[in-house]
Amino acid sequence: MWTPRELLRSAGLRFALLYTVAFMISVGVIGWMTVLTVAGALERQAQRGVENEASALVDEFNAGGRQDLEAALAGRFANPSTHTRYAVVEADGRVVLGDRTLLQSGQDPGAAHGTLRGNMPRIASRELGDGSRVMVADDLAEVREIEAVVTRAFQVALAVAGILGLGTGLLISGALLRRLDTVTRTAEAVVGGDLTQRIARTGSEDEFDRLAATLNRMLDRIDGLMANLRQVSTDIAHDLRTPLSRLRQSLEATRRRATTIEDYQDAVDRAVEETDRILEIFSALLRIAQIEAASLRSGFRRVNLSEILQTVAEAYAAPAADGGRSLTAHILEDVWIDADRDLLAQLFVNLVENALQHTPQGSTISLELKDSGDRAVAVIRDDGPGIPPEERENVLRRFYRLERSRTTPGNGLGLSLVAAIADLHGGRVTLSNGQPGLQVRVAFPQGHEPARR
Amino acid sequence: MKILAVEDDASTLALLVSSLAEAGHAVERATDGPAGLRLALDGAYDVAVIDRMLPGLDGLELVRRLRASGVQTPVLFLTTMSGISDRVDGLEAGGDDYLVKPFAFAELLARVHALARRPPLGRVETVLRAAGIELDLVARRVRRAEDIVDLQPREFSLLEFLMRNAGQLVTRRQLLENVWGFHFDPRTNIVETHMSRLRSKLNKNAEPDPIETVRGAGYILHVDAS
Repeated sequence: MWTPRELLRSAGLRFALLYTVAFMISVGVIGWMTVLTVAGALERQAQRGVENEASALVDEFNAGGRQDLEAALAGRFANPSTHTRYAVVEADGRVVLGDRTLLQSGQDPGAAHGTLRGNMPRIASRELGDGSRVMVADDLAEVREIEAVVTRAFQVALAVAGILGLGTGLLISGALLRRLDTVTRTAEAVVGGDLTQRIARTGSEDEFDRLAATLNRMLDRIDGLMANLRQVSTDIAHDLRTPLSRLRQSLEATRRRATTIEDYQDAVDRAVEETDRILEIFSALLRIAQIEAASLRSGFRRVNLSEILQTVAEAYAAPAADGGRSLTAHILEDVWIDADRDLLAQLFVNLVENALQHTPQGSTISLELKDSGDRAVAVIRDDGPGIPPEERENVLRRFYRLERSRTTPGNGLGLSLVAAIADLHGGRVTLSNGQPGLQVRVAFPQGHEPARR
Repeated sequence: MKILAVEDDASTLALLVSSLAEAGHAVERATDGPAGLRLALDGAYDVAVIDRMLPGLDGLELVRRLRASGVQTPVLFLTTMSGISDRVDGLEAGGDDYLVKPFAFAELLARVHALARRPPLGRVETVLRAAGIELDLVARRVRRAEDIVDLQPREFSLLEFLMRNAGQLVTRRQLLENVWGFHFDPRTNIVETHMSRLRSKLNKNAEPDPIETVRGAGYILHVDAS
């Protein structure tokens, strides 16, 4: 699955190794301190042991003189398991009983007791009433033995900690790599072009699972944007080919048929008009794309929504009347929202033009602005043929046109621009049955900071 | 008029210079920001046409520095962008008008003329007179000959804009921007509709029409209607 190099480079293993080394150092320090403390305590205990023994022998002497002392010592000598050695030294330095070496190792026979380094014995020496001394000594072999045992125990612990730490490190880094590997594999697949791939979740809600969820959401968003982009490219290719081929045909026809300067001038005028229409589609698309991609609202100001709607109603009253339709307005005054004035004007112009274009003569179009608490709500209603319920969502899409509207002028971008502008302002466009006709409701948040997507 | 054109695209600049010269203007040119700023600082121009994106010094920054130096030459920005806050940015930097490429040449010329005709700061006109029409800005009243012409507020603004630019071509887009505040192109002929109402009110006594329609371009209010 992973090469040793990958494992060694793994951050998990490096952390585990670092942790192991720190752990081993602390085990070592604890061990060293334990040995020192234990050895110290044992040495002090040994010293107390010989002091007590010497005192006991002095007591024997005081109770029954040299005889009792010798009897007691004989008893001690009879016990083979003891490491304790004894000597009785006369005033002139002769060892009369016991271990002669004691006198040599005890550098100062006159000292009450002596402490020697290393395995040298602990010695206690006491004056007896008759000028002689009794000496008791105990070597430290036992202490050293215990010390060695403890030290060895800690060495073993150190080795076990090292092995465990290393093993755990490998396991942890393996597990980390395994978890990250699913992320890497999915990301690679996405890079390779398969945007449908998602990272498998374990459902454990740990940090990896949460990361996977976040990355999946990011992939959903990218997928959505890509689908949108593909759709737009297809739409552009399709909807721009029509006017472009019309332009080409007309130019071709001119080339063949035109004879006079006037013919050519007419043809050029028509070509300019057609080009303007194509440019108009381009700028409408560009504008929708810019509005959809806009992330900052630096251009937003506090604007008077009532005033904008009034201007639109006023501007369209005459054209509507000329077209045999009536436009009525019921606009609540002084409704202010944070917005881009130009974009809002365009939104309402598009909606009114849409209504004018898709209703028969004699229709009435009403424009209304009201306040519903936290929202400013604009309603544009007509009594025309309306939009079938199943088509209402579609008409907000780019280039989408109802079958019966194919013959009326328009590029199918008006309502998608409306949706994009409303979205930028944190608003919502709802299409419904105007009973009869179509009702478009646009609700804007009235707070000072409109929410963004 | 003496016009400064600052544009880095060679073919656009050539077209700009030749067309403005054809319309009878003296044109000086610069192809980058610093050169444009040097020329503009002379202040001896009636109008400056400046591209938004320039090498060396951005068009916005150029105008900002120009204004900071106290030069009040009217500036028309040209741009290929029409981002949602582009126009506002341009005006806030000190630009006076804004034109998005591609544009019809008549549109550019009409805007250059309109900028050049702006009254100097501080001079406030209260009554406009042209073509035998008198427009009182304070009383909001219009007279033709001796008759009072009763106009709707937008019709009044429409006539006001035409009269301020009397004798010059005024485009449909200029009217949309200045009369309705619409900085986009509606599908409906709002301007045409209101223009025809204005005309029928102005000419109700069968006087000669002072407003000429220039096909595909806009309107001219002739100073001397005859």
